[in-house]
Amino acid sequence: MNISREWLNQYVALNCDDATLCRKLTTAGIEVEKVESDSTVPAGVVAARILDRQVHPNSDHLSVCQVSDGKETLQIVCGAPNCDAGRIVPLAKIGTEFHTEEGDFKIKKSKLRGVESSGMMCSAAELGISDDNSGLMILDESIALGTPIADLYRGDTRIEVEVTPNRPDWLSMYGIARDVSCLLNEKATLPEVKLEESTVANDALVTVEAPDLCPRYIGRLIKNVKIGPSPAWLVKRLESVGLRAINNVVDVTNFVMMELGQPLHAFDLAKLSGGRVVARRAKDGEKITTLDGRNFTLSSENLVIADDTKPMALAGIMGGENSCVSDTTTDVLLESAVFNATNIRFSSRRLGISTDASYRYERGVDFDMAEFASRRAAQLILETAGGVQACAPCEKSADRPAEPVIVCRFERIRNLIGTPTTNEEMVDIFRKLHLKVDEITETSCRVTAPLFRLDLTREADLAEEVARINGLDQVPEVPVKGTVCHPVTEDAYRKLKTIRDAVIDAGFTECVNYSIIGNSTALTDGRFDENDLVKLANPLSPEVAVMRPSLFGTTLGTVERNIAHGNRELAIFELGKAFCANPEKFPEERFELMLLLSGHPHAERFSQEARVEYDFFDLKGEIEALFARFGITRYRFVKLENDNRFEPGFAAKIEIDGKVVGAAGKIAQKFVTWRNASGVYLAQIEAQAFFDAERYVRREFKALPQFPASNRDVALLASADITHAEITEFIRRSHVANLESVKLFDVFSDEKLAKENLCSMAYTLTFRRADRTLTDAEINQAVDKLRERLEKELKLTLR
Amino acid sequence: MNKIIEAINQAVGEAQRRAASATAAADIEQIRIDYLGRNGLFPELSRQMGSVPPEERKDTGCAFNAGRQAIQQAMDDAAAKLTAGKAEKFTGIDVTLPGRAPRTGHRHPISQLADECVAIFSRLGFTAMEGPELEDVYHNFDALNTPADHPSRDLQDTFYLTDGRILRSQTSPVQIRVMETHEPPVRIVAPGRVFRRDTPDATHGMNFHQIEGLYIDRNVSLADLKSVLQYFAREMFGKDVKIRLRPHFFPFTEPSVEYDFSCVVCGGKGCNVCKNSGWIEIAGAGMVDPNVLKTVGYDPEVWSGYAFGLGIERLAMLRNHIPDLRLLYDNDVRFLQQF
Repeated sequence: MNISREWLNQYVALNCDDATLCRKLTTAGIEVEKVESDSTVPAGVVAARILDRQVHPNSDHLSVCQVSDGKETLQIVCGAPNCDAGRIVPLAKIGTEFHTEEGDFKIKKSKLRGVESSGMMCSAAELGISDDNSGLMILDESIALGTPIADLYRGDTRIEVEVTPNRPDWLSMYGIARDVSCLLNEKATLPEVKLEESTVANDALVTVEAPDLCPRYIGRLIKNVKIGPSPAWLVKRLESVGLRAINNVVDVTNFVMMELGQPLHAFDLAKLSGGRVVARRAKDGEKITTLDGRNFTLSSENLVIADDTKPMALAGIMGGENSCVSDTTTDVLLESAVFNATNIRFSSRRLGISTDASYRYERGVDFDMAEFASRRAAQLILETAGGVQACAPCEKSADRPAEPVIVCRFERIRNLIGTPTTNEEMVDIFRKLHLKVDEITETSCRVTAPLFRLDLTREADLAEEVARINGLDQVPEVPVKGTVCHPVTEDAYRKLKTIRDAVIDAGFTECVNYSIIGNSTALTDGRFDENDLVKLANPLSPEVAVMRPSLFGTTLGTVERNIAHGNRELAIFELGKAFCANPEKFPEERFELMLLLSGHPHAERFSQEARVEYDFFDLKGEIEALFARFGITRYRFVKLENDNRFEPGFAAKIEIDGKVVGAAGKIAQKFVTWRNASGVYLAQIEAQAFFDAERYVRREFKALPQFPASNRDVALLASADITHAEITEFIRRSHVANLESVKLFDVFSDEKLAKENLCSMAYTLTFRRADRTLTDAEINQAVDKLRERLEKELKLTLR
Repeated sequence: MNKIIEAINQAVGEAQRRAASATAAADIEQIRIDYLGRNGLFPELSRQMGSVPPEERKDTGCAFNAGRQAIQQAMDDAAAKLTAGKAEKFTGIDVTLPGRAPRTGHRHPISQLADECVAIFSRLGFTAMEGPELEDVYHNFDALNTPADHPSRDLQDTFYLTDGRILRSQTSPVQIRVMETHEPPVRIVAPGRVFRRDTPDATHGMNFHQIEGLYIDRNVSLADLKSVLQYFAREMFGKDVKIRLRPHFFPFTEPSVEYDFSCVVCGGKGCNVCKNSGWIEIAGAGMVDPNVLKTVGYDPEVWSGYAFGLGIERLAMLRNHIPDLRLLYDNDVRFLQQF
């Protein structure tokens, strides 16, 4: 909504400067978004009197003047012919900044031909007030010395404000003036309307067939108008708020809408079959062409203004092409109506048309204003386009809606806003806002809200008015108080932060991706198919239309972009929500953790060390360390086959207590669209695994060993098909006496062994007892027993 | 003085002479082998120790140890002399070579801000709670007193799912979910992701993050809200930050306010970031609307409270001077590793 200061000033005396006005508007909830001033006079130019004029000693066209701004007397060197002593002229003092088309400059203390000058006296042209550059601008004797010239020649100021949807009454100059009057303690006055009404009745002019959608309709008939351009004042007003002038009649309707907030429409009577209008629901399939040339097919849910045969306007939204006022129009039917806000909103949205009129109607117009606006517009049409009223206004109205009555308990308001506002102050605020106040007691009063304040229905709404008009800066700062309401264990954020902290501690950089992605990106994770995707009904584009089923697809994009930018060393992660429509696969919303390593762990080093690349075991180690941190011990990495995400043979699924919680491996080559990259290792783990573990993790003290351990090495030749896990699991199940741990220390294969599909693996077995030192004999006995079982049962050759 | 002590003294003298004239490491090694090595003089003498009369054993032992130490000392001195001569040839390691850097992790600016917000409000007794991102219309709009034809419900503003639910457009539905399941008083924050149907640009994205705050108790006033926000502003941006409340409108609060921080870039003098106003809009807040309280079964005559919402990305951009929101979602590690 644009406000013109000059225009606003017609309804309320603006006794303050622009900055103060804007501050007051903003603090009252009419948020100023932009201010544009036409004023060209820079701040710092003030009215000053020339006390004395002498000829410049070194120049025949310059004068040396003594000039007073009422506070101090300054010496100014001036080249103007009319700088006579006694005159009051504009003086730009030192520091004044001029912004001109030729460039910016600042007034400084200077010497002109050897004589000091402390400012500049100005012509009207120099101040941008007029084109007169013949000499100094001579000001009126009545102007006080020191008055800023900008205050005298301010021009208009356009103020762009944001109007919240609850305050449609601010969508007009007069509506704003009403609140400003309260802020500035000035009276707001409506324009004076003197209109002689015709005594000829014409009840047939308006018929309302849908009173639920059109509670008030006032039609006027003005004949013999002369359509032409609007007078300059009207054009200027419209342009000052960003509207375009069209012709005198249309301009008047727009002017009155901006002035009073009541949308109006003018029909060309000659084009109305039957010479009348009917407000009715459209027939299903009925068509209309609006005056911007668009065609619409309507339904009974749309209200139209029709003549005897067809729709002539989309009620409250836009007129029809077939009935608009044109150069040849002579007789005008002027509409001022109230339409059902919900219905206008519905139609406007369904048909995709939004206009200044629909914007106001869908927020709600003042039932009472329709009549005054109709008169005001009629008067202005008669003034600007001539013509006569052919009949008395024809009004079809439902009952006037009841005004909301609210009981206001003063103490309650004080409690809600926390200020010590007195009862009297509250009543005063209500009255200044044009609310009716009666039944005032010690504790409460009764407030009746006028029909232009549709937002006031409850006590809380009155609290807002008090807070708003008093100024929210009056709300005191009090010590922060409050009850502790919930146990910290309920805290939902902590569990996420715990995971995030752990992964960041491990040296990963966190990524955040959008969770709405493309279908094809979503399905790069082959665990999901079309039916598993949560789909949007109204995506921004068909390419970005589903919720990510996992973090896989967006991660590929992240890697691709980074490698394209030359970021080859990647240790990144994301902890984010993924969505699944198939409850058999996953819950609808879940958190997933994605870890990714690619490039060189020590690119900052040199030689061989710098060339070492991350591999599967770097990633596995990270996962195991993370598990350890969360006290997760009963996990397994099991070879993963047939998963499209990973390169065959380089992937594992991760199980905790036999349940799959994720997978890790080398990203399948087919996804690697970038060049010259190292292998990319990625893990996806359900965050739930960590949530579950974190909740129950209890670290219990175990006594430190008192007796030494003894190690025995066992080397064996195993078939390459047998896994490390199978061997260690076999050893674990063999229940070897006093065996504390088993550690792989060597894996070896050469051509000869490989030919036989064999592999040499060497383990260190560590033995220990808590209560005494073990003897060599008993350890050897245990190892011998194990060797025997390994040879017999696992068919391994011991070396 | 017995034979053993004599032998020791003699050996020490010999060894010292040899050490003094040693010219190579091999010479010193030979001294070690001859006297201290496994088949050298001292182990031999040690074996003879048994033949020493008991009354002499103490002295002999002392002489033995002193002798061995003297020889070791002579060898060390000789070795030191040898290396000292070669000092300029032994360069040691090049300490200027690049160090082996441990990997360092980086928290995304969005997470940093969310963590800090949660931490600040935790200190005031707020507990973080969560709710679904696939939300129903009831919790996102109806229960929040949003009129059936409110523009925010429009298809062009809110993402709808094919089943009629939506992607939550705000974290406020968490308020409802918490109040539905908890008796008052309640005091929560709800950080999380929300969705708006905005084409991504420098200040908009398809999703962004909010943190919602809600406090319902007896006699909670706008002054309490202002004080909590002031505390938050100071904790987040320093003690000089001021806040300004402006009246505004939200369906679920009454009175409703928007709150501004004095510009954290220029300190309120006026700059590009605050568009010369000296203030930066941070988010919306207000006193919970009585209709909302009634909807969740709280009696508005007994309970009152405030709610507020903050945009995490906006805070992150302000605090880290990030000019474009898209940088936050581009995940370029050169960007992420600045934080």
